[in-house]
Amino acid sequence: MASMMQPQIILLKEGTDTSQGKAQLLSNINAVTAVGDVVRTTLGPRGMDKLIHDDKGSVTISNDGATIMKLLDIVHPAAKILVDIAKSQDSEVRKSSWILDLFSVDDFVGDGTTTVVLLAAEFLKEAKPFVEDGVHSQNLIRSYRTASTLAIEKVKELAVSIEGKSVEEKKGLLAKCAATTLSSKLIGGEKEFFATMVVDAVMAIGDDDRLNLIGIKKVPGGNMRDSFLVDGVAFKKTFSYAGFEQQPKKFDNPKILLLNIELELKSEKENAEIRLSDPSQYQSIVDAEWNIIYDKLDKCVESGAKVVLSRLAIGDLATQYFADRDIFCAGRVAEQDLNRVAAATGGTVQTSVLGTCEIFEEKQVGGERFNIFSGCPSGRTATIVLRGGADQFIEEAERSLHDAIMIVRRAVKNSTVVPGGGAIDVIPRQLCDNAGFDATDVLNKLRQKHAMQSGEGASYGVDINTGGIADSFANFVWEPAVVKINAINAATEAACLILSVDETVKNPKSESAQGDAAAGAMGRGRGGGRGRGMRRR
Amino acid sequence: MALAFDEFGRPFIILREQDQKTRLRGIDAQKANIAAGKAVARILRSSLGPKGMDKMLQGPDGDVTISNDGATILEQMDVDNQIAKLMVDLSRSQDYEIGDGTTGVVVMAGALLEQAERQLDRGIHPIRIAEGYEMASRVAVEHLERIAQKFEFDVNSYEPLVQTCMTTLSSKIVNRCKRSLAEIAVKAVLAVADLERRDVNLDLIKVEGKVGGKLEDTELIYGILVDKDMSHPQMPKHIEDAHIAILTCPFEPPKPKTKHKVDIDTVEKFETLRKQEQQYFDEMVQKCKDVGATLVICQWGFDDEANHLLMHRNLPAVRWVGGVELELIAIATGGRIVPRFQELTPEKLGKAGMVREKSFGTTKERMLYIEHCANSKAVTIFIRGGYGLGNKMMIEETKRSIHDALCVARNLIRNNSIVYGGGAAEITCSLAVDAAADKYPGVEQYAIRAFAEALDSVPMALAENSGLQPIETLSAVKSQQIKENIPFYGIDCNDVGTNDMREQNVFETLIGKQQQILLATQVVKMILKIDDVISNSEY
Repeated sequence: MASMMQPQIILLKEGTDTSQGKAQLLSNINAVTAVGDVVRTTLGPRGMDKLIHDDKGSVTISNDGATIMKLLDIVHPAAKILVDIAKSQDSEVRKSSWILDLFSVDDFVGDGTTTVVLLAAEFLKEAKPFVEDGVHSQNLIRSYRTASTLAIEKVKELAVSIEGKSVEEKKGLLAKCAATTLSSKLIGGEKEFFATMVVDAVMAIGDDDRLNLIGIKKVPGGNMRDSFLVDGVAFKKTFSYAGFEQQPKKFDNPKILLLNIELELKSEKENAEIRLSDPSQYQSIVDAEWNIIYDKLDKCVESGAKVVLSRLAIGDLATQYFADRDIFCAGRVAEQDLNRVAAATGGTVQTSVLGTCEIFEEKQVGGERFNIFSGCPSGRTATIVLRGGADQFIEEAERSLHDAIMIVRRAVKNSTVVPGGGAIDVIPRQLCDNAGFDATDVLNKLRQKHAMQSGEGASYGVDINTGGIADSFANFVWEPAVVKINAINAATEAACLILSVDETVKNPKSESAQGDAAAGAMGRGRGGGRGRGMRRR
Repeated sequence: MALAFDEFGRPFIILREQDQKTRLRGIDAQKANIAAGKAVARILRSSLGPKGMDKMLQGPDGDVTISNDGATILEQMDVDNQIAKLMVDLSRSQDYEIGDGTTGVVVMAGALLEQAERQLDRGIHPIRIAEGYEMASRVAVEHLERIAQKFEFDVNSYEPLVQTCMTTLSSKIVNRCKRSLAEIAVKAVLAVADLERRDVNLDLIKVEGKVGGKLEDTELIYGILVDKDMSHPQMPKHIEDAHIAILTCPFEPPKPKTKHKVDIDTVEKFETLRKQEQQYFDEMVQKCKDVGATLVICQWGFDDEANHLLMHRNLPAVRWVGGVELELIAIATGGRIVPRFQELTPEKLGKAGMVREKSFGTTKERMLYIEHCANSKAVTIFIRGGYGLGNKMMIEETKRSIHDALCVARNLIRNNSIVYGGGAAEITCSLAVDAAADKYPGVEQYAIRAFAEALDSVPMALAENSGLQPIETLSAVKSQQIKENIPFYGIDCNDVGTNDMREQNVFETLIGKQQQILLATQVVKMILKIDDVISNSEY
């Protein structure tokens, strides 16, 4: 249809930036490598933290790969893919990020984010010379896929099952996994302390999938050793009215009533208006209103409950009424906390089913007073109360514990572990670099061990403490197998994805958020629309 | 942040607004962060110890604060730098947990950072420094545990508590009355303490201040002090053996909460309404009288008509008492808060041996004392001062000092172990850590030694602030401690003539000291761990 005489066809809107071919591919690789460099130093027990200011001026100090990637606010389309894999490794983000369907959705792990990013960046770096030499990127992709399958098989082979061990033994093993994760974090110095806590918390909720049953409460002040685990629920004292201090603050085996109503003297209907013609009727209206609230309060008391919690306000009248009858009450309890109480004590919100627990107590924790329910019958919740010297500190500790919790859950579910401390080239190298050792030297030693015929050297990794190599397995540097598998998988997929792109079309800025638009164009527009480049599994 | 270029000379933008961001990484980031932390510590350094100086801070609205309390100073400084904020948090968390030693903890963190900088220059990996510090802090904390002494006290013999509180107060502006203030603080804490559970609810201690009078007039009231007076000037000013009705309902006809209207179309109706209102007033007062109340404390107000009626019926009343105070009064007098008149019963009345109104100075300011209450578990510390200047600063600083002293007393009730102050604890820890350093193989050894040196900086600052030769004094005390193997020798800040802190009665709580060391180590570790700072360039 195009005749020679016709002018150039304008396909795209003016201002659209297109680049294509090998140059584009290399440029993408470079961008990814640059991002990989940012998180590089956070790897391993001697990894460093990043301090990032965001646009709003708030600041985060973190060691967690996913957190850093999220905060970096990356706009480069190829580099953004890296952010997405980091997110996919971290279960926090289950949103419909388009990349998710690339990886089997079940395999969210919550840890190893840094590893994934680093691996992907390294895969691409290795691919670069081949691309420059003119190897077709599809060939590279195919070989990478094969390699990753091999690697995963190897990992599976190495994996040791912890199935069938006694509960005590299992707990110990899980704690080792948690400690490995925590060792790279700020709270690494107290890793044993926190690892046990995390394992206990995870064991407490059992097979339940609802992670929000593990509550993490942050109380600034104190030092991290003052953190503790409650086998039940704990939440901060809510806003209270006069009379609250006259209520008893400790009960043994109390019945717990959970409500979702306001216990306050107020007008029953917002827009109702009462017209009185006879002033003597006045008192009856007033009495009627009081009766409504007293009726409610009486029912609460009659139920035999000793602790009354409500998601909505409990007013001063009710507070004093309960105080008179030796009942503890708390209004405006956050919904999550209330749900947790319900799960723990076996009660249900707003029914005649009352919950119970062994001990209820209001306790001082640092500068705050906490309501603590412990010894709950159904025992399906746990609350970790974190203490620490600074707000930033506690924030980071929370993120670290999140990672550890995820790891332990993975290990519980899949019950196989592999030795940590480095399995693929780039990881031990970076571990050494971060720890200040001679990377080449250590790596050669490691290689030699791994090459041994007997296969007994397969679990050797970098020994951070002495600068040599050591049997990671014997030193309890363990990671759940599924984490490693997922990391290799995700990194390979990301690398292949980037390798398969040979053209970027970037629309001019006008559209919504620039970053989203760019990512969208990358994903759907290119891969799906034109039918080349991206392959979905 | 500089742009990156690929092989073809094309820039690629990875971060949003990349060119507007600055990035510090590696050793530069650590150096910059350490410098910020040190700057904060330097400000507080001169406030340490009994001869420490105060800081004057002017707020954005022109209000002036003078303080010697580390947490207060840092809070008011409104720092912007992120690392400096960490130091503020550090001081604050010491304040939350212990309430005392807020200056010391920052000085210590500053010293640790300073030492860390030296180790960095030697090429030691920052994480290894941090790990070394952590090991050292554990050694120090264990050592403190070993040298700590317990002392026994009970409600009648509380001398050691007073001595410890005095150590805290001696660095404050109020130190000329430290003996009496310390006694007040200890008595107050003992009054509300649950000695069996070792729990102290500081909420039960109310600290009130009023400008005027002398600091020496500060007193402890076994009961409640309310900044209110009788609603009518002719009401009695002294009520003995008072029965108090505590009301949260106003002295006025009850109102339905639902929107309402009373249609009045005839004169008769109007008359009845009026009459009914009067009757309400009458009934209310009568109800109070009937149950035997001799004093009414009301959360809300009442109009002049009710006021007159109350006066007439000889029922003294106080109006507009805040919710918190109402609660305290209820707890102290063993009464119940009553939400409406119908529910008044004799059992719900609070009882107090004496309620009196006291006026101050020549001004018309009066306050209401409620004393000899049924339940003495609520006390008030009433601070006077300001040299008659109408100057609130002095009162505020005294409040803070009393708060510190209260916290110290509380901590002692929780855990009655003490260590010796005046830098003695730091010096002995420094010796212990130094000795322990040799046992650790690896690079951490250097960090542990650095930690020991950092510990020395606290007594050093003490000596400096007291006008002594810091290095000479410190080395003298140190050698004395080693020679006699006694951990009681500290810096003689007040020039008493002895270094023996036992004789000088300078004590600090064990948990306070341990907390200082642990917290400072924690924050320093956090700062050392950062190797990359990405910020918008305007920061």
